[in-house]
Amino acid sequence: MWTSEQRQRLAVEHQILQREGFDQFSVYHHPSDDTYTASGTAISNSGRRYHLYIPIPTRYPFQRPPLYVTDPDPLRLFNGSPVSTLGVSHAMHTLTPHAAGWPQVCHWRDERWHSNILLQKVFLKAHIWLEAYEQHLATGRSLADFVPTMTETV
Amino acid sequence: MSTSDPQQQQMIHEAMKSIAERRPGRTKLVYDKTRRTIVAVAEGTQAPRALNITADDADMFATLTLSTTWLRDHWDSLIRDGYAPLSLSSWDEGDALTHAALGVTPAASSAAACITLDPAFQVPPGTTVAIVLQSDSGGQPNAATFSSPSATPYRATAWRQDGDTRLALDVCFADVQPELATRRSGILETTVLKDKTVVLIGLGTGGGHAAIELAKCGVGNFILIDRDRLAVGNVVRHPGGISQVGRYKVNVIRDLILEKNPDANVSAHPVAVDYDNQGDIKELIARADVVVCGTDSRPSKLLVNQLCVEAGVIAVYGGAFRRAYGGQVLRVRPNQSACHQCFVAAMPDQASDVEVSTAADAEGIAYSDQPVAIEPGLSLDVLPIANMVAKLALLELLADRDSSLNILQRDFAAPWYLWLNRPEPGTEYASWPPLSESVDEMTIHRWYGIELPRDEECSVCGNFLAALAGNYGLNVDSLPDLPVSTGKDR
Repeated sequence: MWTSEQRQRLAVEHQILQREGFDQFSVYHHPSDDTYTASGTAISNSGRRYHLYIPIPTRYPFQRPPLYVTDPDPLRLFNGSPVSTLGVSHAMHTLTPHAAGWPQVCHWRDERWHSNILLQKVFLKAHIWLEAYEQHLATGRSLADFVPTMTETV
Repeated sequence: MSTSDPQQQQMIHEAMKSIAERRPGRTKLVYDKTRRTIVAVAEGTQAPRALNITADDADMFATLTLSTTWLRDHWDSLIRDGYAPLSLSSWDEGDALTHAALGVTPAASSAAACITLDPAFQVPPGTTVAIVLQSDSGGQPNAATFSSPSATPYRATAWRQDGDTRLALDVCFADVQPELATRRSGILETTVLKDKTVVLIGLGTGGGHAAIELAKCGVGNFILIDRDRLAVGNVVRHPGGISQVGRYKVNVIRDLILEKNPDANVSAHPVAVDYDNQGDIKELIARADVVVCGTDSRPSKLLVNQLCVEAGVIAVYGGAFRRAYGGQVLRVRPNQSACHQCFVAAMPDQASDVEVSTAADAEGIAYSDQPVAIEPGLSLDVLPIANMVAKLALLELLADRDSSLNILQRDFAAPWYLWLNRPEPGTEYASWPPLSESVDEMTIHRWYGIELPRDEECSVCGNFLAALAGNYGLNVDSLPDLPVSTGKDR
């Protein structure tokens, strides 16, 4: 199912995460079903911990990898309701939640994704999203008030 | 001067012959308002109380157009059976009767006809039009002359039964391919593109027009891919009309291609351009000499780019900017020029400036709680881009052929082309000087060819992985194994 180029790319990306200050994240291989995931725990500036999880899509890197916040579970809004209840939300920069109820962070839309983008950048964007999320928790204002609509950078 | 005057009779005869043959004569017909009748006068005569009568005024017969190819194909059965039935499209209340075999689009009403070599042939019941072919070895060939497979000339006469009346019809034979080629010969060699195949992906306004232009140029084989159906809102831009609404765009464009090039081979594939159909699309692209991509979404363009680069097939990408204030065209020669991924990585703003012309386009860039509206754009503003796409595709098809148009290869050497319809406020083009005042500066309504170097480290056409690994001191052939999941990493 996976090409050798895909496997090599994921191996390179794991090494980049380890060497570039993102070693709280790893790319994992799941031999039982020959799938890949990338995950790890992000710690915000305030010291809160969030577990981030990316199931690597079978057409990666040509297909955008979704990123979910799996812990805290559920991740709650300022008003106490789960973030995932919003579904696709411009106000909170979220996309379709995982079937397990985990909210999906909008890092790149499909319309903006391309194969030069690395998992390192995806996790970096997730860190920015988490800081904005904590601003939302502190103020009740929407996350979109703290991050611009993400522009395209490589 | 009366109608019994022999000289006047002779002049009337000559004038009517001239009108029938649509050639100037020594006499002409006028309607004499004083005498309230038609008279013939010498050409150049001033007739102050008279109306000139032209050939158009005298054009009273309906026109019947027959396919030469069909008749040659059916010649043996015509000889054997004594007649052959055929169907005619009846246009404009019977003013034009067109052999249905000539094209794919029939008229709303039709007429049953038969063609025979026997002037005394009794037409079958229900047949309203009869065409009689008679040997005409001594006559001058004209539009009503048919040359049989044995090169015997036949002249056709025809009539239509209207109640008790037989109405004569003007017969014209259409030898389609030679007549179409006449309009291209000297500029575009007639059969040079007959064996070429173009795959068109995205048959919206731009892709549809590009397809039809390539058909007019004589491209022989088309493969059309688009999952969308023609909607009412499309009609002000798309080549398809209101009576086609609801049909798959690939089928609409297939029929329009065949209207322009009846001998073309066209296969239509109403499928989505996404990774689920990657295998099928890959097989279709492998048959292409050139791919024309007119989709608006980045994922579809990047998928087409990936497949074309892998297959080594040249692709031309065209797209309008938002509200069609301009547009751009990118030609990709795999491993020679920048590919679409190189373009996206090097020019992200330009690559993201796309038209939002369909609900799918809007959905691709919007959040469902904050929809993006479909934006207007004029066909007039999309067509320059479609024409450029067709021109670049044409030049790629001709590149390995002996063609006088290849002189243009030097003019179209750049890979990327920019066109502006208007200095759209809020864009970097807003301050461009008026077209009417500028000679040297960049303005609207001019094409600009732009160099765009290929990215040697591109993730599609370059050595991205090796270069990426090299940047971190890694060797892709000796990477440590990935950690194995313990099941707790989710």
